[in-house]
Amino acid sequence: MSVKDMSHHIANYRNIFIYLLIGTALTVIASYMDFNVQDSIAGAIFVGLLIACIKGYLVAANFMHLNSEKKIIYWILLLTVFFLALLLFIPLLWDLNNMSNQINY
Amino acid sequence: MEIPYNVELREDTGLYNSKLGIWLFLASEIMLFGGLFSAYILLRTGAPVWPPIGADGHSVLHMLKETVPHATFNTIVLIGSSVTMVMAWVSLKQKELSKYKMYMGITIACACIFLIVKYFEYSHKIHEGFVPAHDTYMALYFTLTGLHGLHIIGGIIVLAYFWGPGFKMWGLEPERFTNRIEVVGLYWHFVDLVWIFLFPVLYLLN
Amino acid sequence: MSNSHNNESFWRKYIFSTDHKIIGIQYGITALLFLFIGFSLMMVMRWQLAYPDTAVPFVGGLVKWLADLNGFASDGNLPADLYNVFGAMHGTIMIFLGVVPLVVGAFGNYIVPLQIGAPDMAFPKLNMSSYWVYFVGGIIMLFSFFLPGGAANSGWTSYPPLADIATTGQTFWLIGMVFLITSSLLGSINIIVTIVQLRAEGMTWMRLPFFVWTQFVTSFLLVLAFPPLEAAGIFQLMDRVFGTSFFLPSGLVVGGQALQVSGGGSPLLWQHLFWFLAHPEVYVLILPGMGVVAEIIANNTRKPIWGYKSLVYSVVFLGFMSFVVWAHHMFLTGMGQAMSNFFQTTTMIISVPSVIILSCLMLSLWGGSIRLNTPMLFALGWIPMFGIGGLTGLPLGLSTPDIHLHDTYYVIGHFHYVVAPGTIFAIFAGIYYWFPKITGKMLNETLGKVHFYFSFIFMNGIFWPMLIQGLAGVSRRLADGGTSYAHAQDVLFWNEIMSYSAWLLAVAQIPFIYNLINSMLKERDEKPDANPWKATTVEWTDTTSPPMGHGNFEKAPVVHRGPYEYSVPGEASDFTPQTQS
Repeated sequence: MSVKDMSHHIANYRNIFIYLLIGTALTVIASYMDFNVQDSIAGAIFVGLLIACIKGYLVAANFMHLNSEKKIIYWILLLTVFFLALLLFIPLLWDLNNMSNQINY
Repeated sequence: MEIPYNVELREDTGLYNSKLGIWLFLASEIMLFGGLFSAYILLRTGAPVWPPIGADGHSVLHMLKETVPHATFNTIVLIGSSVTMVMAWVSLKQKELSKYKMYMGITIACACIFLIVKYFEYSHKIHEGFVPAHDTYMALYFTLTGLHGLHIIGGIIVLAYFWGPGFKMWGLEPERFTNRIEVVGLYWHFVDLVWIFLFPVLYLLN
Repeated sequence: MSNSHNNESFWRKYIFSTDHKIIGIQYGITALLFLFIGFSLMMVMRWQLAYPDTAVPFVGGLVKWLADLNGFASDGNLPADLYNVFGAMHGTIMIFLGVVPLVVGAFGNYIVPLQIGAPDMAFPKLNMSSYWVYFVGGIIMLFSFFLPGGAANSGWTSYPPLADIATTGQTFWLIGMVFLITSSLLGSINIIVTIVQLRAEGMTWMRLPFFVWTQFVTSFLLVLAFPPLEAAGIFQLMDRVFGTSFFLPSGLVVGGQALQVSGGGSPLLWQHLFWFLAHPEVYVLILPGMGVVAEIIANNTRKPIWGYKSLVYSVVFLGFMSFVVWAHHMFLTGMGQAMSNFFQTTTMIISVPSVIILSCLMLSLWGGSIRLNTPMLFALGWIPMFGIGGLTGLPLGLSTPDIHLHDTYYVIGHFHYVVAPGTIFAIFAGIYYWFPKITGKMLNETLGKVHFYFSFIFMNGIFWPMLIQGLAGVSRRLADGGTSYAHAQDVLFWNEIMSYSAWLLAVAQIPFIYNLINSMLKERDEKPDANPWKATTVEWTDTTSPPMGHGNFEKAPVVHRGPYEYSVPGEASDFTPQTQS
């Protein structure tokens, strides 16, 4: 790789670092703000996780070079994320669908 | 016959072996932390109050709010170490060995600072009686950050090896060594990534 | 570089080898020993089931010694507490220390690089570490038998709250599992990278032997499904060692006393995380076996496998679906209707690729020039046995019949048909088939046939009556075999029949063990036939028997055709090697 190529990378890494710092500050500030919709904390959770996802994407795409990775890696990660979603949400959906919630004693 | 594609890229996949290997390992780690996070979701939605109130009548909520600055500091330190990690790899690509050593050294130092801050966090909480057995939030807190911490320790050991005795490989097979640093870097970025999610989930969304 | 290998010490060459063939043999020998241990546990359990609370013959002294060590009362009989230990460890050892290390660690490691034309696995040192981590995990598991309170006794499924408050053996089980899971993860990463990156020139995806495809899918299952169980294991360790309540609900009362824990936990959380692994795990148990059977059927019908593409698509689809059916193990936990519908539907769908695979293998026999050698007998025997295993799974996968059948002997009969005359037969088939490649010597055919026929009879003698007992409502994991239940009385007589079948099955293994040892010790021919079965795949056509160390091939093989080109019209011989241009 030529020195020129790498300096472009270096500038990118510096920028991403700054965005991540901003993101961190936003996350902390947001946690002190009131997003509560109808007494539910869901709003705050949504905002917090959204910022985390954006920061995560920046790290993955830039530091981990995912935005220029090969197809097979994308497929593996897609598969993984699909199963991750199952693992995270099925037990939750289960709880919501639980029989004992539906029985009127 | 030697094992091919340790350095040169296989044509149809465009990868060298350890790059594929580390991504598969990271896929398994995603599932591991996924299992941990799914436990968090299930236990939190089942709890009337979060963090729960323990047998001593207290919840850790107040202390948590006090430790937000420390956790924020740790977040910045870890993100910084991710930057220096990728810069260490860039330095090798540019064959600037002293810069490699510097960036690698800073990465390891940041990791150690992270652990030291963690140590103080843990001991403060334990001192106040907020042990894992206190309530399910504390159980999750210690388990999730503890496992993450173990990954940091593992990372420090590997990084230190490549900073010190493992650096010998640069003299014999520089491209293969550079690949190893790229691969280790991927692991390190993942550890940072996990913390990017742990931080808001554990400290802020209460 | 190659010269230095000739000067390797005994330790580097045989004990801490990085050669996939040596490591494969290490896995094989260790796993067979563990299978023997797991089998022995079951034989003692079957005495208790046939003749409850009577002293076990021959080994009664040993049983009493172990019971005393664990703190259980015994005068040579198998007390209930120790029965529970044996039951939990039988399952654990057979699955995690026996079958998976054998089909993936032994067969996968030895055969995959050879079949794809690679010099070794992608990461030889990692391969070596994987074996030794497995070994340590196994030692920890075995060691736990000698603790006060005995080894784990809450079933191989380790459900909390019981497993949370069980004796020390359970903690060792959890630590052992962490080692075994680590070994599995490292091993499967190695296999995937090897298959993706180290295929020889011309070895395209659709020219891979079906055995390699099954190993590929199996390794993905292991990589993605094991970690949630590792998470669950860590949680259970936290509960047991640090007093957390991940799995302990509030208000739990044990022995009349409220448990002094924070509560707020969920026993269902364990079940979700456990079965998220354990369902794909059962496909890990069977898929490589399907691969072995496919190789042997193609070879011994002298014609290509019928439906290669269907087999490949089915096995990939099966692997994917295996992640979305896990809650069919949890139908009786009070799940809501939507969840139940979802999991019943996915479970019914997953039976389709299995049926396609079985059908392709059966159709492969049509019009074949069938050679009934020992590997083929085991492969043929596998087909109906796996068929029964699969069919008996259907009522379990539907929640309504499952109400009656859940946790009965029907379940035990179902899954044993799949793993015992299922996977184990495939393992035997593979051993008889690949023994000549590994050693340069043939196993004795007559002894092999005796081994097969008697094993087939006695396997059915053990597991068919379980289906009957289960339908009558006899629960699993009962130390008295059902004697204290009125509804079991009419079917209790089967216990003795099953137990004799089990002991006779043990006797039927003697010709096999003798055959193995005798054949290993006998003199090898000057120039062993490298391809006695006249097979087409690269491990047979391009290597010596045994293959040369460190590198496998003098020159990298080049592949020109598919894996099952038998009886190609116009060719002089009835098999055309993959590497023939």
